[in-house]
Amino acid sequence: MTDADLPDRDDDSLLAAEYVLRLLEREEERAFEARLERDSALMREVNAWSERLSGMDAEFAAETPRAAIKAHLMERLFGAPERTTSIWQKLSLWQGLSFASLLVAGFFAWQVTQLAPVDTPASGPLYVSEIAAEDQSLRVLAVYDSDSDALQINRTAGQAAAGRTLELWVITDGNAPVSLGVLPDAQTTEITLPEEFRAQVADLTLAISDEPPGGSPTGQPTGAVLAVGTVTEL
Amino acid sequence: MSTVDEIETLIGKVSLGDRQAFSRLYDLTHAKLFGVSLRILNNRASAEDVLQETYMKIWRYADRYASKGTSPMTWLITIARNTAIDKLRTRRDSEDIEGMAETLASSGPTPEQVAVASGEAGRIAHCLEQLEEPRDKAVRGAYLEGLSYAELSEKLSVPLNTIRTWLRRSLISLRECMEQ
Repeated sequence: MTDADLPDRDDDSLLAAEYVLRLLEREEERAFEARLERDSALMREVNAWSERLSGMDAEFAAETPRAAIKAHLMERLFGAPERTTSIWQKLSLWQGLSFASLLVAGFFAWQVTQLAPVDTPASGPLYVSEIAAEDQSLRVLAVYDSDSDALQINRTAGQAAAGRTLELWVITDGNAPVSLGVLPDAQTTEITLPEEFRAQVADLTLAISDEPPGGSPTGQPTGAVLAVGTVTEL
Repeated sequence: MSTVDEIETLIGKVSLGDRQAFSRLYDLTHAKLFGVSLRILNNRASAEDVLQETYMKIWRYADRYASKGTSPMTWLITIARNTAIDKLRTRRDSEDIEGMAETLASSGPTPEQVAVASGEAGRIAHCLEQLEEPRDKAVRGAYLEGLSYAELSEKLSVPLNTIRTWLRRSLISLRECMEQ
């Protein structure tokens, strides 16, 4: 090793430290990066300094940014999330009821049977569906009593937007939704289930869409599908 | 699996375009990286912009990680720090330097707390302490606040034509101390 080698090596090491610290002027930085591309010894110096100085990283105190930042980031990278979700896409998100909501639904079903006139005891099977929005902003319980062919409806959370109505739909696998009518402003109501669906209650899916006053003018959902639920036998 | 191993695995998956892994990587690391950009920029809105840019770079360049030979957190923090410093320099180019924030005494754990926190951190904290006051402030100011030579010169009242020599000597002492 000649005398000249040492200062050179040292100079590169210090240049690497200055590069890591971001102390080089823009021109020097560019020149250094050009050298880095083809000089693996220089790259090792940069990594060694990065590791050495990283001891100070503990002095960067963790901080919480606004939660919306992650959503912005994801949208910038991967595009806007699907806003017009089809009924069938929604359904895949709502396979079955959660245990907790099933308990609530069960309690409501029990109340329904308790309120039923004594001379018509519920003897046939009972079915329940929790028709709920993903964020729980709208939640409707439906209980079907096979003795009366009636769907007891109880809206437990949410309501129609101003100047809009909620319309209830029944869907069988692979078929277009069939309207069961517009839900009234009252929290509870009773809707007779059309005969064609009575034999396959457990396989039905119920959905609620946002519609103009009086319900969908086309016979198919025209507004957003707000809530979806499948049917469970109690 | 330790957190470090998990972060390393996640970066690997991100390099293959795994969005779920990217989401998880964000959850695990964003608080630290936000702390880095906030310390340097001293402004939450700018720091949030930089945080997004940082993760966009991580998404794009994750495949370069393996060849870098540094630990995963160091790699992530380097990206956050450099992105924040770029933002800082663009901002200062268009601003009067008089308006520069007094950031040298900014918040965060003290060097003593850090020394207790980890071995590597303890070593550099110890070695920084060996430097003559206020030379440790120069290294710290450059690394933690992203200050340039001109800014360090002004902050520490050391003439610009001597600050570079001064800091380079500090770095040599630091390297020697850490190699012991």
